[in-house]
Amino acid sequence: MNLLDVALVIMSISLIPCLYRIIVGPTLPDRVVGLDALTLVMVVALGVYSYMQESPFFLDAALVLSIISFIGTIAIARYIDEGAIF
Amino acid sequence: MRQYIVYALALGIVWCFVSGEASILNFMVGSVLGILIIWSLKKLYQPDENVPYKNIIARIPKLATFFAILMIEITKASILVAKIVLWPKLEIKPGIVAIPLRATKDVSITAIANTISLTPGTLTIDVSDDLAKIYVHSIDASDPEALKVSIRDKLEKYVLEAFE
Amino acid sequence: MTTATDIIGNVFFLAGILFVFVGMVGLLRLPDVYNRLHATTKIATLGTFGVMLSIAIKAGFSTMGLKAITVGIFLLLTAPVVAHMVARAAHRSGTKMWTGSVIDEYAEDNKREKESQI
Repeated sequence: MNLLDVALVIMSISLIPCLYRIIVGPTLPDRVVGLDALTLVMVVALGVYSYMQESPFFLDAALVLSIISFIGTIAIARYIDEGAIF
Repeated sequence: MRQYIVYALALGIVWCFVSGEASILNFMVGSVLGILIIWSLKKLYQPDENVPYKNIIARIPKLATFFAILMIEITKASILVAKIVLWPKLEIKPGIVAIPLRATKDVSITAIANTISLTPGTLTIDVSDDLAKIYVHSIDASDPEALKVSIRDKLEKYVLEAFE
Repeated sequence: MTTATDIIGNVFFLAGILFVFVGMVGLLRLPDVYNRLHATTKIATLGTFGVMLSIAIKAGFSTMGLKAITVGIFLLLTAPVVAHMVARAAHRSGTKMWTGSVIDEYAEDNKREKESQI
């Protein structure tokens, strides 16, 4: 068990607060913050896994995931704010 | 026209980073793709032809100091907020404070807002309609005047030097 | 030479993982939306940047290093925008601040503006 395995375990533990915040979170913005944090943790886990496997393709997945997370969060925020996305 | 070429070269550098191969050939492929993209999305830009490029090059050292100071501030303040989070008893006094701005250009206001958001402990919420005030949520707003002074002297000074 | 880069990379890696974990603890512990945004979109983003930087240092000037630094810079650029949008949407849709909050000049100014329009 080396450093990278430990990092993956810590990232898996870090998913629990995000899931708690998505399920319990008292208001809608709380859930949005939880989803954003979830994708952030998954991006880190993908980066670590990519370094473990020594293949750069998981980093492509991480980049796409972060772009989708950004666009999605902006869309939900505009929906909460004005009731319409466009 | 010159502005389009500069944008295309910037997009070529981004293409090198995204495709993960830094070579002259790849950079040229990216620049050609960038010219196509900029040409097809021309309507989205408002090209103002009078951008002084020499001015930007002369400003590079100040931009470099700005980013160095920014990284140091971010790291220092992250450790501070991490301490607050891990402290057994939660001792925070959050609040929203209106901070007057000296900057007038859109670029510098954007830079100040993003800088404030990236320094932990403070978070930009909105800019007032006349661009004179910026609303900042702070995790420790027990002394609003000190917060105003610290943002004006620490961050805004460097942003004004770098962008105006 | 390799040992020095390895040590620097490992230090960045450990600090990054620790910061992401602390950010998630903050997401669990802090009392309202705005304070949770402080924890996640900044401490955790700095942690992510640290991890990506360490991968770039370890992998060197290769495909993996370039892609890792791209992901890190992209996250560092978009995190403040996300934080600003979510906070503004939450405040304008009427999410209450925590009861321990000391000051809210944004709500005061909005109220004053509404009164002056009438």
